[in-house]
Amino acid sequence: MDALLTKTEEKVAAPTIKKIKGSEILLRCLMAEGVDVMFGYPGGAIMPVYDALYSYADKLTHILVRHEQGAVHAAQGYARVSGKIGVALATSGPGATNLVTGLADALIDSTPVVCITGQVFAHLLGTDAFQEIDVINTTLPVTKWNVQVTEAKDIADAVAKAFYIAKTGRQGPVLIDITKNAQNELIEEFEYEKCESIRTYKPKPTLQLSQVEAAAKLINSAKRPYILAGQGVLLSGATKELIEFSEKTGIPVASTLLGLGAFPQDHPNYVGYLGMHGNYSSNVNTNECDVLIGLGMRFDDRVTGNVSKYAKQAKIIHIDIDKAEINKIIKTEAFILADAKDALTALAAKCEANKHTEWIDSFHQLDKIEYEKVIQHEFSPTSKELMMAEVIHRLSNKTNGEAIVVTDVGQHQMVTSRYYKFKNPRTNVTSGGAGTMGFALPAAMGAKLAIPHKQVVAVIGDGGYQMTIQELGTIMQYNIPVKILVLNNNFLGMVRQWQQLFHEKRYSFTEMQNPNFVKIAEAYNINAKKVEKREELDAALQEMLDSKTSYFLEVVVGKEDNVFPMVPAGAGVGEVILEIPKK
Amino acid sequence: MELAADNNFSVLNRIINILNRRRVRIKKLMAHENETDFRKGGVIFLLHTTEDMIEKVSNQLEKLIEVENVRSREGSDLYFELSERIVDVD
Repeated sequence: MDALLTKTEEKVAAPTIKKIKGSEILLRCLMAEGVDVMFGYPGGAIMPVYDALYSYADKLTHILVRHEQGAVHAAQGYARVSGKIGVALATSGPGATNLVTGLADALIDSTPVVCITGQVFAHLLGTDAFQEIDVINTTLPVTKWNVQVTEAKDIADAVAKAFYIAKTGRQGPVLIDITKNAQNELIEEFEYEKCESIRTYKPKPTLQLSQVEAAAKLINSAKRPYILAGQGVLLSGATKELIEFSEKTGIPVASTLLGLGAFPQDHPNYVGYLGMHGNYSSNVNTNECDVLIGLGMRFDDRVTGNVSKYAKQAKIIHIDIDKAEINKIIKTEAFILADAKDALTALAAKCEANKHTEWIDSFHQLDKIEYEKVIQHEFSPTSKELMMAEVIHRLSNKTNGEAIVVTDVGQHQMVTSRYYKFKNPRTNVTSGGAGTMGFALPAAMGAKLAIPHKQVVAVIGDGGYQMTIQELGTIMQYNIPVKILVLNNNFLGMVRQWQQLFHEKRYSFTEMQNPNFVKIAEAYNINAKKVEKREELDAALQEMLDSKTSYFLEVVVGKEDNVFPMVPAGAGVGEVILEIPKK
Repeated sequence: MELAADNNFSVLNRIINILNRRRVRIKKLMAHENETDFRKGGVIFLLHTTEDMIEKVSNQLEKLIEVENVRSREGSDLYFELSERIVDVD
């Protein structure tokens, strides 16, 4: 009897199953997805994850930002330059709602970001508990997908799906909201399986040969074909294919704001930057081409101007991975539902070799007009005041167009897009569709952490700089050697320009009394300088670029410096103006 | 308009959100679980809008991760036919 009891006891004392917390599962899942750095801010509902992070500090780098908006913009900057997924962490309630602007920005600019938010205990959901906000419904319109997890067993599946959805098809932001009980719950060890498909989700359309043939037919018979290249070229890694296609067919290429860098600007077939403040030739010739090829772009209203006056003479071919973009703004003659890389590869095989020398030359003729009316004056101003264009032109020359340049939103952004000669893909980082002021400083931090060996310059206006200026603390704490170039006109410059041109110079609440920016930077142990004279500019820029540490340079520019050319609101792209209209 | 989707939390909100953004008027709607598999479901709408808008919102709805397919037909027959069938099953 005793022997029998002993045997039974031995059976009971089988090896115990190791259990781990949901919070640790989350970190292991992130590591399995290749995450090496994330940006976040702790708080009550995400504390179990931060507690687990304490033990994973040697495996996962966490950057403590100064505001959750900074976390998501940093994740965006990281994603945009690296092509990897950016990750941001925040707590429930206000922590989560502070992510909303960045999520909206990432959605409209197709940036793959995964945000993880803590949430109150599951039994408190819907009770108006402390820091409880319905994050799922709040972020529903600004995410590609979101999910709430209330049990630890569902964390791994949610993370796998989130990473798959963020990175496939038209890329975008995803949010996982995890209740505190799920973070604390102990469950058995698990095997992480990456997600490779979702029953109802078809991220990559099958390339249809008939669509390629229809587009090729239009291109082969075109006399003045014209490619408008967007960010889709960068996201699909199709720069090489685009260069080859343009060289074979002889078709000129212009770039959208987010497409800058997708096609080298020193290439003879590059004809400029499109949009409200784009080049004169690239806008005017949109209404002169006979076949217009929108490649990985979405005919944003800043590109088209007044749609009723947009390229009416042309047959439109639209190439995009997102079916919802086709015929959304502009009716197409033909379309290819595919990513830019697949579409260009297939098209190249069907399109004939050609040259369009006269057509490309017509762009250069128009470029001369823009040079005489705008650029010449901006590069060699007669006034004492520094102009934004000359600053960016010198920055471009000094970095040979090879730095990663992160811009905010406003006049400085448009000037940078016009005059910085981006040579390489994924070097232009800006807030395009959403136009988020405050984007640049945190996004530049993320970009620098992603590609540490590259020079990263944040070009910002004095307005946007003050929207996320607190991230100087993050730059100081982690010694992130970003270069910060603030073009200070003591105005919300773009709004002021519109007030000048369209509201009879009624400068309603756009003039800013600014603090001593140099002292603020120095308070964060960041080397800083202010430049007001032209003769000091070159040396100051060089000092900033040569600095091994973070550096702040304030350049005081003309208060009423305007950005031209400009397609006025309501005007067609052919009605682009080069100077202040005479009354 | 008829949609088939996974029966997850918030799916209906996502669908309605797209129609709201486009200011499409919903005259009637019926949402239901699939009679044989509760993990799947669907929504039937009677909408007042243009053919062009139906094409645009259909493309946007098909982008939703949980939506399996979208089909639409002019007139109100489809709505009543499908909704009666679902009521009969219940």
